[in-house]
Amino acid sequence: MEPSTRSKAIMEFLKPRVGARVKSWLEICTKCGQCADTCHFYLAADRDPKMIPAAKVKYLSEIIRRKGEVDDEFIQKAYDCIYHECNMCRRCTQFCPFGINIADMIALTRALLFSQGVCPEALRSAIKNYHETGNQMGVSEEDWLDTLTWCEEEMESEIVGLKIPVDKVGAEIMYTINAREAKFYPQDIQEVAKIMHVAGASWTVPSKRGWDDTNLSMFVGDLKTSRTLVENTFARATELGAKKVAITE
Amino acid sequence: MELFHDYLDQGIIKLSKKVTEPTTLQDPCNVVRSGGLAAKNRHVAEMLSEDFRPMDNQGNYNYCCGGGGGAIPMGGEMRKQRMKCGKIKAEQIRATGAKIVLVPCHNCIDQIRDLNKEYDLGIKAVHFKEIIAHNMIVPEHMIPKEEDEEEKA
Repeated sequence: MEPSTRSKAIMEFLKPRVGARVKSWLEICTKCGQCADTCHFYLAADRDPKMIPAAKVKYLSEIIRRKGEVDDEFIQKAYDCIYHECNMCRRCTQFCPFGINIADMIALTRALLFSQGVCPEALRSAIKNYHETGNQMGVSEEDWLDTLTWCEEEMESEIVGLKIPVDKVGAEIMYTINAREAKFYPQDIQEVAKIMHVAGASWTVPSKRGWDDTNLSMFVGDLKTSRTLVENTFARATELGAKKVAITE
Repeated sequence: MELFHDYLDQGIIKLSKKVTEPTTLQDPCNVVRSGGLAAKNRHVAEMLSEDFRPMDNQGNYNYCCGGGGGAIPMGGEMRKQRMKCGKIKAEQIRATGAKIVLVPCHNCIDQIRDLNKEYDLGIKAVHFKEIIAHNMIVPEHMIPKEEDEEEKA
C-alpha cells in the first residue's frame, strides 16, 4: 500500500526530530512505574494506569511504529491525552531513574499534531493574535500606550513623581508583562511601577512588539512563532540599549 | 521575581510590615523547576511573611498547580480536567493551614483562585508584587502632601 499524504507529512516532520536520543528513550523505558506517583493527573484520578506519564508517550511510539499511518480517531485520542491529561510540568522527568525526558516527548507529540493542523482552538487564536499584534490578547499599540498612560496618571496621585518610562533609551532594565495584565489586571502594572519608582530603578517599557513576555505558541510546539516572540523582545532591548530584560513575576 | 528578591535582600526596598496571616508558596514549574529560581522564590516568601508554612515537596520537586502547559489559556475546553487534577495542589495548600498563598505566576494564580472556589480552601492567592507594593516603606518625599496642597489652594 502506498503511504498516505498524512503519513508522509508526519514522517517528514519526525525524521529530523526523532534521533538517537528519542529512539533510545523509547527503547530503554522499562515501564518501571517510578513516574506514576510523580504525576498529579495520575494521583487525582485514583491511580488510573492510563494517566502514568510513561503510558502517555505511547502515542508517539505508536506513530513511529506505524510509520505515520494513523487515522483521525487515533489523532483525537492522542490529542485528548497530551492536552487534557498533561501540563508538561516536567515533574515525571525529574524522577525517571533512566533520565528519560518524558516531557520532551509529550512536547514533540504536541508539535507533531500542530504540524498536522491540530491544536486547541483558544491557543490557535492566541497565536493569530501574536502574528497580528505581537501579543496574545490582540491589544493594539494605541491601546497599550493608552493603558500605560492612565496607569501612570492614576499612580501619580499616590506616589509623587511616579512615571512609567516608555522607550527610554539607555535604561538598565526593560520591563515586559503578561498581556493579560494590560487587559484584565492593570493593577499589576501599577504595583510594579510603584516598586520600581521607590527602588530608584532605571527602567523602561517598550511601546512596540516585544512587551508581552508570554509565549503560548511554545505549548503547542509552534517553535517558529515562539522564536519570533523572543526575537521581538530582544530586538526591543537591543534598540533601547537595555542591559537586562525583566519579566512580570 | 529575581529582581524583587534582590531589592528586598539588599535593602533597596524595605518593608514596613510583614504578612501576619500564615502564608504558603507556589513553585511555578517554569519559574522554579525550569527557571532555576527555587531558593530565591522561597527567600522572597520568607522575607514577606511572619508565619511561612512551606508545602510538602516545596521547591524544585513541587507539584504543578494543574494550570500549566497552556491549560489556563485553553479556556473552557480544559476546565473540568483542570479542576480534577488540581486536587493535589488543593490538598497541599489545605495541609499547610495557610490563609495567603503567594503565587509568582499568572497561570498558577488563575488556577489556584479557581481551586479555592472549587475546593473551598478559604485562602487568598496573591502575587509577590501586590504584597511588596502594599507593605513597602515609601520615602517621605514620595508621599503626596495633601494638606500643603490644600493650603496653597
